[in-house]
Amino acid sequence: MKQWRRALAISRKDIVSYYGKPPLITWGLMFPGVLLLSIYLKDPGTYLQVSPGIVAMTLLFASTSMSAIVITFEKRAGTFQRLLLAPLHLDTIILGKTLSAAAYGLATTLILVLALAILLGLRLTVPGLFAIGLLLGAVLFALMGLIASMVVKEVFEAMTLMNFFRFPLLFISGVFMPWAKLPAWLKPLAWLSPLTHIVELLEYGLTGRSHFPSPWLPLGASLAFLVLAAGAAHVTFQRRAYL
Amino acid sequence: MASANIIHVTGLSKSFGSLKALDNVSFVVRQGEIFGYLGPNGAGKTTTIKILCGLLPRQSGEVSIGGLDIAEEPVRVKQRLGVVPDESNLYPELTCLRNLDYLGELYGLSRAARRARATELLGIFDLTDKKATPFGALSRGLKRRLTIAAALVHAPEILFLDEPTTGLDVPSAKALRALIQRINQQDGVTVFLTTHNLFEAEALCHYVQIIHKGQALAAGTAQEIRQRVTGRKTLEVTFDGPVPGDWWQVPGYRGRPPAPVNGRWHLETAGQELHQVLAFLLVRAEAAGVKIIDLEAGGANLEEAFLAILQEQRPGKEENP
Ligand SMILES: Nc1ncnc2c1ncn2[C@@H]1O[C@H](COP(=O)(O)OP(=O)(O)O)[C@@H](O)[C@H]1O
Ligand SMILES: [Mg+2]
Repeated sequence: MKQWRRALAISRKDIVSYYGKPPLITWGLMFPGVLLLSIYLKDPGTYLQVSPGIVAMTLLFASTSMSAIVITFEKRAGTFQRLLLAPLHLDTIILGKTLSAAAYGLATTLILVLALAILLGLRLTVPGLFAIGLLLGAVLFALMGLIASMVVKEVFEAMTLMNFFRFPLLFISGVFMPWAKLPAWLKPLAWLSPLTHIVELLEYGLTGRSHFPSPWLPLGASLAFLVLAAGAAHVTFQRRAYL
Repeated sequence: MASANIIHVTGLSKSFGSLKALDNVSFVVRQGEIFGYLGPNGAGKTTTIKILCGLLPRQSGEVSIGGLDIAEEPVRVKQRLGVVPDESNLYPELTCLRNLDYLGELYGLSRAARRARATELLGIFDLTDKKATPFGALSRGLKRRLTIAAALVHAPEILFLDEPTTGLDVPSAKALRALIQRINQQDGVTVFLTTHNLFEAEALCHYVQIIHKGQALAAGTAQEIRQRVTGRKTLEVTFDGPVPGDWWQVPGYRGRPPAPVNGRWHLETAGQELHQVLAFLLVRAEAAGVKIIDLEAGGANLEEAFLAILQEQRPGKEENP
């Protein structure tokens, strides 16, 4: 039945319809941009150390915001019902919505990375790993946003709900402070944060080094989180899509 | 008309908490007909459509559409259905053309097929000059039309219409009814239509199922239903001046003494005596030196019709005062 083509159609429509919505621009680009600028102004020497964290954070905010929007806007307008009436598997809808959100997260993050490379001389040591980190992170975060937006009704509720976990994640995932410098009691928690592993993958890609003994560790963990999130999204949609 | 049953519903029930929205409902829809699902607000019409279209799980009962159960094969069944929900819900930011195109994509049509079908439908629904207008900018009536066009993009076998003309002005509703008839006759689409309007059911439907408080009551052809509920006629009369208090006491008048509201008198009469009552009315008006400036004759309203049918179904219940 070529369900994947229908998923792509959903993504394409979402991308055209929702790129440029205010919450996306605020949370996707301005927030990390301003943050990075302030870090740079404060201390031009250390911004590179935090750039994997800031890049991962951008990915997190852009992907989750987009996926929250592609669901809640349509639920409120009643158009989400169109997808439920159409001959689509729930997983097709999830795939379509995830792809558009992940694509948005990637696009936003690439703008940031390009700006860093051109303006501040950022260089990648292992570009392949960096790219894998971005891809995994984009899809994983998009799925997380999708799950959150299925639980609420309004766009702002989704944003509030997500900030409830997005901000704490920033603090335990080595975004502002390298993982190694976290207090001992926080470290186990950091392991449980998907963001930690994405940050480490980006760190490997950027510097060729990381706090983890091998890149396989964050890679494996990210994949595991991805499978977990996909499963959770499936279950959440089954329970809540028709409400 | 072809007579194979395309929808089979047996013992369908659905509750919301303690409210029985549908209580052991059974009916069949024959292929190629316009099936009217007639009932007042809150009867359970939308709930039925939602279950048949796979938006809502049922609690018990059997539903077969074209031999398939939507609970078991949702994707295959949905491919064969077109649905117009009670609210027009296309994408407000997309143009009319893109709305049709997008839905065509969701139903798996090729690019060429989508283009051809969208152009054809915009023509049929008289929306060609609106093809570049965003759906959100259309009037209510045009929104309704595009929503129906969108439900037809993939040439479904069955079209569900949930109160298609509710909220439309009279000419728009009339035009829409003509379109529904055209779709049914020319393309052979089976139409499942809900309405709370007896007139609409009679004008449009080959077969009517009455539903009230979640229960399927009378069913039959539109004429059969009409005969069951038209024992009584109503008359609304407005005179251009004051009339004697007893003017309405004409032979054939059976109702309670009427009282005017804003100069408009409401009378009830037996259907077969309408002619006689009208004749006397004219004579009386002439004698009193007033003119009839407005006169409206109608069937019993739906509420009364339902009451009548309810009482037939449940003999022994207390009489109406
Ligand atoms: N999601 C719901 N939760 C609770 N009650 C509902 C829900 N949907 C419908 N109902 C109730 O079920 C009954 C039938 O509703 P509905 O099928 O929408 O009626 P109709 O479409 O004939 O006007 C009504 O009393 C309505 O209030
Ligand atoms: Mg309804």
